[in-house]
Amino acid sequence: MASQLFEETVLPHLDAAFNYARWLTRNDSEAEDVVQDACVRAMRFFSSLRDNNARAWLLTIVRNSWYSRVSRRKEIPESTAGDHDPGERPDDALDPEERLLQQYTVARVRSALEQLPVDFREVIVLRELEGLPYKEIAAIVRVPIGTVMSRLSRARERLTTLLTPSDSMGRLP
Amino acid sequence: MSCELVERDLSAYLDRELDIDAATAIRSHLTDCTACRRLVAEREALGRLVRSAPYYPAPERLRARISARTSRSRFAGRFLPWAAAATVLVSAGIGVTVMRLAAAARPAMVDQVVDGHVRSLMADHLFDVQSTDQHTVKPWFLGKVDFAPPVVDLSSSGFPLVGGRLDYLSGQPVAALVYQRQKHTINVFVSPEKSGDAADLVRSARGFHVHHWDREGMSFWAVSDLNDAELTQFVRALQTS
Repeated sequence: MASQLFEETVLPHLDAAFNYARWLTRNDSEAEDVVQDACVRAMRFFSSLRDNNARAWLLTIVRNSWYSRVSRRKEIPESTAGDHDPGERPDDALDPEERLLQQYTVARVRSALEQLPVDFREVIVLRELEGLPYKEIAAIVRVPIGTVMSRLSRARERLTTLLTPSDSMGRLP
Repeated sequence: MSCELVERDLSAYLDRELDIDAATAIRSHLTDCTACRRLVAEREALGRLVRSAPYYPAPERLRARISARTSRSRFAGRFLPWAAAATVLVSAGIGVTVMRLAAAARPAMVDQVVDGHVRSLMADHLFDVQSTDQHTVKPWFLGKVDFAPPVVDLSSSGFPLVGGRLDYLSGQPVAALVYQRQKHTINVFVSPEKSGDAADLVRSARGFHVHHWDREGMSFWAVSDLNDAELTQFVRALQTS
């Protein structure tokens, strides 16, 4: 039965779908809406899943859902700094130093990623957090592999700048 | 090769997405260029740092909401339309539970297949009969299982048969056929088909890909860490052999 097959082939990739949507939107509730939209579409078009790569297929639909929401709001995908969630600031004085440092690092990485233009951010997320090969990223983002390659390269240059402390001699930790 | 070229291709090099010639050229440049070596080290550090960024798994409430939707459509599809309205009310409770139990049987099998695969690699018990000759492997199963698994060598498609062994899945003896693709091992578990097990299935679990299909009264489960495209190619080769 189609819906059972759907549960078995598509739902295992729900975490990947949410993570991708969360990084695209930088917002929990919007990411949930995007993923829910995407799953409704995915169920409707499940019969069009031809090859066996359900993950790339679902992520493509997530991206389309996100994009159509953004364009409905006539919002141009941002290329400037995003909002910062105060919840992750390492402000608990009772934590051991190491934990603070780690929290601080994670918060900085997160903020650096969120500052990237969305074209760069998504390829970094798909590559570094999902571990996808270039070919799959190219299919999801709908650009040639060469473009994936150059976007990743430029995104990493940008991240190096963002994450290298300007006030110290040190490079990356 | 110049430092500029290394810098241009560095991302693809570290992602192992360069072809072998380009990668070799960079590697040999790195042996004599300290500046580029430092760049590589920096980029590797950046990679580690970026991977420490938060990974956002789907919240439980979202998963539940979507599961409820698929269960509902399954439930509604099974019964007459007049039941649909009632289904909406019921599916939040009993309906979902019943359907989820039904759906749980095969994923458990996927787990067992992956377990079987991992066990065969860890316990160093990949073969009872080690042979690339299908005419040696096939008769070996005679008298060990009460069915005759189809055994074919797929060397011509790039998947040589390397052996077979007796294994157990769900407490039943199954024939395990072992194929190789470069360094990757593919286990194919073959047993007589059971009723209620008919639909083809493709699944990933714990980094392994699993394909299931039935053919001529036999149930097949192929499992490997091979990438999904190549495993699909293997399954097609086996199905059309």
